[in-house]
Amino acid sequence: MTTDSSLERLVSEFFAGSCPPEAVTRAEATGLDTRLWDAAEQLGFPLVGLDERRGGSGGSLSDLLVLLHVAGRHAAPLPLAETNLAAWLLHRAGRDAPSGPMTVVPGAERDTLTLREGVLSGVAHGVPWATGARRVVALLEDENGSLQVVSPALTELTIHKGSDLAGMSRDTLVARDVPVDAAPWTGTPDALFVRGALLRSAQMAGALEEILELTRDYVGQRTQFGRAIGSFQSVQQHVVTLAQASTMSSLAVRRAGHAAATGDASFEVCATKLVLNQQSALATRAAHQAHGAIGMTQEYRLQHFTRRLHGWRGEFGDEQGLALRIGAAVARRGGLARVITAPSATVGV
Amino acid sequence: MRLEPTELTPAETRLQQDVRDFLAERLPPGSPPAGLGMAARADPEFSRALGRRGWLGMALPREYGGGGRGAVERLIVVEELLAAGAPVGHHWVADRQSGPTIAANGTEEQKRYFLPRIASGELSFAIGMSEPEAGSDLASLRTRAKPVDGGWQVSGSKIWTTGADTATHILALVRTSSDRYAGLTQFVVDRHSQGLTVSPIPFIDGTRDFCELTFDNVFVPDSRRLGEVGRGWRQNTAELVLERGGVDRWMSLMPVLEHWAAHRWGRVPRWAEADLGSITARCWAFRGMSLSIARMVDAGRSPTVEAALVKEMATRFEQDCVEIVTRHFGRTPDLGSADPYESLLARAILVSPSWSIRGGTSEVLRNIIAKGLAKA
Repeated sequence: MTTDSSLERLVSEFFAGSCPPEAVTRAEATGLDTRLWDAAEQLGFPLVGLDERRGGSGGSLSDLLVLLHVAGRHAAPLPLAETNLAAWLLHRAGRDAPSGPMTVVPGAERDTLTLREGVLSGVAHGVPWATGARRVVALLEDENGSLQVVSPALTELTIHKGSDLAGMSRDTLVARDVPVDAAPWTGTPDALFVRGALLRSAQMAGALEEILELTRDYVGQRTQFGRAIGSFQSVQQHVVTLAQASTMSSLAVRRAGHAAATGDASFEVCATKLVLNQQSALATRAAHQAHGAIGMTQEYRLQHFTRRLHGWRGEFGDEQGLALRIGAAVARRGGLARVITAPSATVGV
Repeated sequence: MRLEPTELTPAETRLQQDVRDFLAERLPPGSPPAGLGMAARADPEFSRALGRRGWLGMALPREYGGGGRGAVERLIVVEELLAAGAPVGHHWVADRQSGPTIAANGTEEQKRYFLPRIASGELSFAIGMSEPEAGSDLASLRTRAKPVDGGWQVSGSKIWTTGADTATHILALVRTSSDRYAGLTQFVVDRHSQGLTVSPIPFIDGTRDFCELTFDNVFVPDSRRLGEVGRGWRQNTAELVLERGGVDRWMSLMPVLEHWAAHRWGRVPRWAEADLGSITARCWAFRGMSLSIARMVDAGRSPTVEAALVKEMATRFEQDCVEIVTRHFGRTPDLGSADPYESLLARAILVSPSWSIRGGTSEVLRNIIAKGLAKA
């Protein structure tokens, strides 16, 4: 398995040209930039890794992870992961994916969204990019306990606007007896959670790689006491911490992606997201410490990444929930050595 | 810096199963662990049994009795041994680094003599690097070899050498001229050489594997000089890559972790499962890194910085594991306990600070990583 470097180059060039730091900042005030979205959609970015016969862009899951990694490196203010997740649910339920930005209901404990007799009602919390998306896809149990995929247009729902720690839209949705078309879901109930954790992890790994580069550049240029601060060992240590976080994270995501392409990758994906959550905590602290006061300002772009990392840590698996899930499975098996040395996609959690 | 993901091939998976079958027979469930990872006790008979199966010196060339295999296959064997708490002390250093160093730098005669005996588990090596005045600053070492008729006369001392008392040979880095780096040369010194005194230094947990070596005009034949005169630093640096980045850097506590996860200290309560899960996730991540580095070695690369990066974070993780398991154990574990796992946990509390010191301190490693990043 090798990274598709030509895809990585293509996506990098696109975001470098069309998504400068000002565009990221602007999106906090104005929401989804439809021109940026259209440009990305024209290149087929949102639906990479999905079947072309159903409106996808083709390519593999690793291609999608490369795309999201690069999007993470640029803090791209686009619902790429969300749209892809939504389309993936629809495809798996036998439906075609429409064009335009979409999102998913990640599913929170306090959600009250229910599907009864083809009618959707209740509240869904923490829905990313509901403002800006055209359609929201949810995986819900119907009155018989069967899983169904529904995809109402957002115009049919009430949106209470909110934002995440990075200033991106993260909304509450209210459905008041909305008739919906439901398609049966034959996968596992947590398939969306696992897939979402993998896609978020790819974005996080990209952001971690970028804050390593930002910090490395900054400590090489910033002069104090008559020399570059990067020449002080105590400052270099922060760069080392960032390199460790980035290296460990990028590798974990690619391994988990490989596992997910072959079978039940719930262990690999949960382990990856957990490790990335932990490494993000260490890395954001190290990057801010190395940057000093300038990194605390909105004028400087470190915050584009650290704020996203803070938010993403809690989405599709926070540290405690993932740790409990893996730990319960390991305790059931009565050992961890065979879990960590098992071939990919053979250990479920 | 990016590491490439890799999977085991079918042949490698078969090897993994073979090792598991062997260990299930040799160390059946209930066998007490032989120690903490690479610090496990020496059992020459066990090492020879591994040698007979071709699981020592796996990466050494076939023509010299080695397996002609690679770093990945060695990793597969080693991770099974460490998970089982196997007695690896006798062959550990020879298998991990002295053998490959001799294979890379030795004369034909040296390779013919040493390598088959390392691969069979007959010989046991210790590392003669540190000195009282040269620890992390290894290049300031002073033990000197001066040329005499037919060889060299070595004088000085080496310290903090694990296993020197029971080893058959010491691979020593010694000064042959005053040039800081180019004045260093490696020698393979017979442990029983005349004038070589090995004195155990009681280790923090009361064990006696840690040693001081005094060289009082020890004669070493020129045939036991490893590599060119003045090449010692470079050879030694390459050797350190083999010493870092492996699974042994995060598996020291594995038998204790397994014991805990198997509920043998009582059922792991629900609230403690989060710690178990977090440890498992991190072990999985480290295992991927170690495996990736082993593949790079097999591809002929020398991932010095990558290995340092892994060792620095992995040893801190091992130390965290000691903290976590001790917290869940619920009381201070007793070194003299009849429960070998409790005793091992107590030992881990005492010795775990050494994990981020041996094989390069975390501070030195961070400097290596920082320099490597600056070049990248």
